Amino acid sequence: MDDHKSEDQHLVAAAQHILKALAASKAVSDDLRKTLLDFDIHLSAMSIVERSIKQLERKIKFAEGKIMTWKAKNSMIWDCGSKESSEYLEAVSEIQAAVHNLQSLNEHDKELLGRANGILQVAMAKLEEELVHILVKHKQYLEPESFANEAGSVDLVNPALIPDLKSIANVMFGSKYHQEFCQTFISSRRDALDEFFVVLEIERFSNENVMKMEGNCLNREIKKWIRAVKIVFQVYLVAEKRLCKQILGDFNDSVYQFCFAEITLSFVLKLLNFGEAVAMGNRSPEKLFCFLDIYEVLENLAVYVDILFFEEFGSFVRDEFHKLLNKFGEASKFTFLAFKNAIANDPSKARFPGGGVHHLTKYVMNFIKTLAEYGEALNLLLADETPADPEGNDDDDSHPLAGEFWSVAATLESNLISKSKLYKDVALQHVFMMNNIHYMVQKAKSSELSLVFGDRWLRRHVAKFRDNARSYERVTWGPILSILKQENAELNCTSSKENLKKKCKDFNASFSETYRSQTGWYIPDTELREDVQISISQKVVHAYRQFTGRYSSTIDEKWKKHTVDDIENYVLDLFVGSPKSLHYFSSSAQILKRDKSV
Amino acid sequence: MSMSMDGSHDTECEEMELFQRHVAERFAELLSCTDEPEAFMSIGWLRKLLDEFLCCEAEFKAVLLMGRDPFQIAKPPLDKLLPELLDRIIKSLDVCNAVSLGIDSLRNIQRLAEIVLSALDQTLIGDGQVRRAKKALSALLSAMLHEDKDGGITKGTERSRSFGRRGNKDKDRSAAAPFRSLSWTMPKNWSAAKQIHAMSSNLAAPRGNESSGLALPVFIMNTVLVFVLWTLVAALPCQERNGLGTHFQMPRNLSWAQPITALQERISEEWKKKEKKGTVGLLEEMQKMEKIAQWLLDFADSFQFPAEADKLEEVKAQVEELADICRKMEEGLEPLQLQIREVFHRVVRTRTEFLHVLDQAAKLNIPAS
Repeated sequence: MDDHKSEDQHLVAAAQHILKALAASKAVSDDLRKTLLDFDIHLSAMSIVERSIKQLERKIKFAEGKIMTWKAKNSMIWDCGSKESSEYLEAVSEIQAAVHNLQSLNEHDKELLGRANGILQVAMAKLEEELVHILVKHKQYLEPESFANEAGSVDLVNPALIPDLKSIANVMFGSKYHQEFCQTFISSRRDALDEFFVVLEIERFSNENVMKMEGNCLNREIKKWIRAVKIVFQVYLVAEKRLCKQILGDFNDSVYQFCFAEITLSFVLKLLNFGEAVAMGNRSPEKLFCFLDIYEVLENLAVYVDILFFEEFGSFVRDEFHKLLNKFGEASKFTFLAFKNAIANDPSKARFPGGGVHHLTKYVMNFIKTLAEYGEALNLLLADETPADPEGNDDDDSHPLAGEFWSVAATLESNLISKSKLYKDVALQHVFMMNNIHYMVQKAKSSELSLVFGDRWLRRHVAKFRDNARSYERVTWGPILSILKQENAELNCTSSKENLKKKCKDFNASFSETYRSQTGWYIPDTELREDVQISISQKVVHAYRQFTGRYSSTIDEKWKKHTVDDIENYVLDLFVGSPKSLHYFSSSAQILKRDKSV
Repeated sequence: MSMSMDGSHDTECEEMELFQRHVAERFAELLSCTDEPEAFMSIGWLRKLLDEFLCCEAEFKAVLLMGRDPFQIAKPPLDKLLPELLDRIIKSLDVCNAVSLGIDSLRNIQRLAEIVLSALDQTLIGDGQVRRAKKALSALLSAMLHEDKDGGITKGTERSRSFGRRGNKDKDRSAAAPFRSLSWTMPKNWSAAKQIHAMSSNLAAPRGNESSGLALPVFIMNTVLVFVLWTLVAALPCQERNGLGTHFQMPRNLSWAQPITALQERISEEWKKKEKKGTVGLLEEMQKMEKIAQWLLDFADSFQFPAEADKLEEVKAQVEELADICRKMEEGLEPLQLQIREVFHRVVRTRTEFLHVLDQAAKLNIPAS
């Protein structure tokens, strides 16, 4: 072959010599001379090409040696040190350049070009393997705990290897094998992401499974999921995107963005699917805190998601995330409404024994106490829907949630009033309302709730339960006090003795009756109980002392069943919740009226 | 609610007649679709199918909910039929998710096909290009035939399996990298075939005087739902399609059901044929691609440089077809995925709405306290 080439070269040289000679001859026309000189130039170019091709051939052969040696080996180039890897990359670059040059030369040496392309393909295949190897070997496994501390500065692949990965990328892209690079890179990173699921201890559940999960199990999974979602969006995916940019950032932006999207899209959707299933669950009031928890978390993560997926490639993910966020918002709103309706519709069937604090009151107040912790989230959700406040508690300084909470309290009060009507004894109705409103006020005074309810509401409701206390007194003790009262006109009446006797009897009967029923009534709050007892004492004991004192001369000891001290002590038995009765040894038909309170 | 019995009854009958007719028309149109870009079981056709489904669903909701007293849909036989439908909806969500993941694996196949295009769409085809193409083709065919198990995500072009006819001495066999097939797809024992089976059981046509009431649209909606999902599973890769049922108890005498029955029979035929060979799924683009990929692989296996001119002409033609398929996938896969997601969200919303109405009806039943 070389012989042929050198023969050709001789021929060319000879031809050029002849041409030059002819061109210099005076016998040749200008046109002809021009043609001859052109031809000469052509022949020169041919020589150059020939020389170039020879050069290329040499380079190709040299690089081929390197590349084919590695093909035969089973080991990895990048395990053998940076000298080997950079030499290899150099060899590839040579082949790459050779291909490029051969293609641009007019003289197409098809065989040589084919050979070069063949070698290039071998190199590319090897580089693919190396890529996988580096990505897997130098993957950094990170525990979720460590994520919490290093938000954002996490490296998913050993940073020392980034330059190598970049070199491989550059070479493969330069050889127009970018598709293989991306495909391999994306697959490897997807595997890493799937592994992370295992680290997060997230299991795969179908929608059906999730819908069937019971309370504790579901709560456990939700907790895990919330933790996962935070780590994934705030740390892991940020790091992943950075990795893509580091390796592929030299090319068009769309390249690294595309890779990032391909790596993460499926994973994120799978992650969100669990949330979708939870959002479809039943909407009983107990679920409200769960929905709000998730809503808060997603709301806080929205900004991360928007940044991570702001390009066109990521719009699908972004949309799905926001849809899910909205679903939890709706679920929360709906459940909150269900909660209010449950209060309003709580059935009042049986009288609540003793007139104490109803479980509905406790449930509601404790519920909203916990709810107040979600202030921010609720605020966002309920901002447009604050009901008008009928009681005029509203104030410019009101807490944003005040309206909603006042509304809940008002609904509760309303229902309690219905419940109170079940009691036939009006006095007990008042005691019941007093107890319950007092409880509401006590709860509302506590930390978070006091800020929400505000001073005005508190003052009004303190006034309310005091009103009820006074009404109770009026209904029960009013008549009894009027027994003990004496009209001036009767003072010196001859029948005053009879009168007084009757008064004593009436008093004893009424007091005993009241004692019998109202010892069974219950005021759970000791302070409130004392206040009521003291108030009763002050009036009744005082009146009794006055009555018995003033008419001590007229009143027979037999008529008086109790001393003043007795009365004082008996009052302390009221509202303790253990029914007692006073036993009289009177034989006359004192028909003790049936206990009206139960 | 205060309309006269006769008046409301007539409108109701009319609405239901219309609903039946529309369902029949929509599916008849799908049956007659034979031309590109909506050839039977192509991406375009599936998109049309989903469109029609969403229309049916919307009409169904209107028929059942608009202007209606909640009490009407809470009384028998709907008191049992509606919760069944809502339960089917939950099952269908898992199918939507599985199919959506399947589209991911199709996208992967598309990328591999695009590598083949890069390799072979050249004037000069030498050893290098052919080996490059062969690598991608092997990976592609492997992905197609094993998608249901591995989750379908091929690890680059690294495959230790060769599908060439020339023995198994693949000279470009690369050391199989230790990829785990740990792709988190559906739960481990979940099966699309089983899910569809569960959804189609207990699906009985209303009989007697029930067949003229609201039970009928509910039955129609159930049927449509099951049919559409079954079709998606037959067409697109998804976890565990083995044993996909091909026989449905379709009512023979109902006019609205005839186009659906015809479609179902046609798809069943195709499915049975393919099941014998191996489950590539019925998606038209995949069917075509499989043939082309196999042809090209055979070409690659028997390639010697330089190839004959007429052989190269054939290669060119195959490559052009492949490019066409890739184009269709590029344009259609994402919208298809979006549509499936739309179906997901819509049926969830429908379920919520029905639950809400049933809840209202239940409250109305409680005697005032």
